[in-house]
Amino acid sequence: MIEIKDLKKMYGRRAVVDGVSLVIEKNKVFGFLGQNGAGKTTAMKMMVGLLRPDAGSVSIAGRSVLESETREIIGFMPEAPYFYERLTGFEFLKFCGDLFPRHRKKTGAEYEALLKKVGIFEAKDAPIRNYSKGMKQRLGFAQSLVNDPEYVFLDEPLDGLDPIGRREIKEIIKLLKQEGRTIFLNSHILYDTEELCDEVGVIHKGKLLYAGSVKDFCSGKPLEDQFIATVEAHNK
Amino acid sequence: MTVHNVFVITKNTFKETIRDRILYGLVAFGALFILLDLFLAKLSLGDMVMIKSFGLAGVYLIGTIITVFLGASIIYREVEKRTLYFVLSKPASYGDVILGKFFGLYGAAILTVLLMAAVYLGVVLYQGGGFDVRGFVAILYQLLEAGFFVALLTFLSAISTPLTSTIAAALILFSGHFMSTAVENVKRIGGFTKTFIDAAYYLLPNLEKFNVRNVVVHHVPLSLEPFILSAAYAAFYAAVLLYFAYAFLKRKEL
Repeated sequence: MIEIKDLKKMYGRRAVVDGVSLVIEKNKVFGFLGQNGAGKTTAMKMMVGLLRPDAGSVSIAGRSVLESETREIIGFMPEAPYFYERLTGFEFLKFCGDLFPRHRKKTGAEYEALLKKVGIFEAKDAPIRNYSKGMKQRLGFAQSLVNDPEYVFLDEPLDGLDPIGRREIKEIIKLLKQEGRTIFLNSHILYDTEELCDEVGVIHKGKLLYAGSVKDFCSGKPLEDQFIATVEAHNK
Repeated sequence: MTVHNVFVITKNTFKETIRDRILYGLVAFGALFILLDLFLAKLSLGDMVMIKSFGLAGVYLIGTIITVFLGASIIYREVEKRTLYFVLSKPASYGDVILGKFFGLYGAAILTVLLMAAVYLGVVLYQGGGFDVRGFVAILYQLLEAGFFVALLTFLSAISTPLTSTIAAALILFSGHFMSTAVENVKRIGGFTKTFIDAAYYLLPNLEKFNVRNVVVHHVPLSLEPFILSAAYAAFYAAVLLYFAYAFLKRKEL
């Protein structure tokens, strides 16, 4: 279970994340929706321990995310990831895997299987600087799974992918859910979110406006319409 | 902080660094520069002191330029390009990052200096000077200084931009070599200038401790004790700088 309690982050005098509280049960796909600058990425960075909150806490499986052991069970894919461009895809993935004590003995075949899973096996020995944007996105996705995480945090995982790439990544996300993992994803592609997520949260100007099931949120209407209506109602 | 993670990051940094194409160009330029010694040998009618002085100075100069080139953005780039996200979202600490980056970069700097040293030793051998063991000792001292310098660049790149880091590193390098001479000179001047230079002397590292090139080429006897003291001096300064790099990086909002 992911438990977020009264999470707050200030940049100067501006609250980027303002008292967000959420509980996400195990084996759910949770979509965090919001406009650009709404606070999604900042919130996610606090959830994976990259940023320290000014107030509040995040616990995953009952432990603080700031504990190193907690990061053993989570995977994180940042938005529009940058890489060590002179490494090959395989080397990068192995580098990421080697940082997990429990996964140091992973074999080359296991890393290759992961590269096959995200569809970039053929480019495994090419330097990352030669990868297309979509291939980099897939590599970013692969590294988030390198430790077989129970909890996967994905920041805009479908950005930069062509329609076929999007479909493939969505299939993998569905597969991860079938495998019993919990997935937290930030997205502004609402069509895909509706298809993938069990629950959504709507964040606007740092405040959480809604958290609950997609069905309840939409009440028969398209997710995009409901999202716009929710945000506009708050702006009035 | 774990030794294993430091090793993993070290290996990755080393691999990334030595694959830089500009580095190859700089090493090739350095090797050519040292090969100019062959031309100088003809001009100086085979004067071995001249050949060795020029060669060792070349290894030092190009080695330092390469270290600045490699190190001025070592931490800055990680933060700006957000590659740190991949590392710090895993069970790795800020300390692992700083030490891993330091050792990886230091390893690459050692490799490039040793490559140029091999060219230098080859030139001396070709000129009939035999295997220049004393020259190699000067290179070892240079590697100690490189350790300090890589730590300085790691620290500077954690707190500022590559351009600022380069300028600051160059100034510290210059003053570090110049300060002991300055202290001697200001004794005659006295007053505020002396107080200022004395204060700077104790504050800044004395990099002349690592310069034994003149001692080496003029066959002044060498002993182990100054080498051990210089190594301890470099290690102390490097440890302090790396600690501050760690403290600054930890405070940064990623």
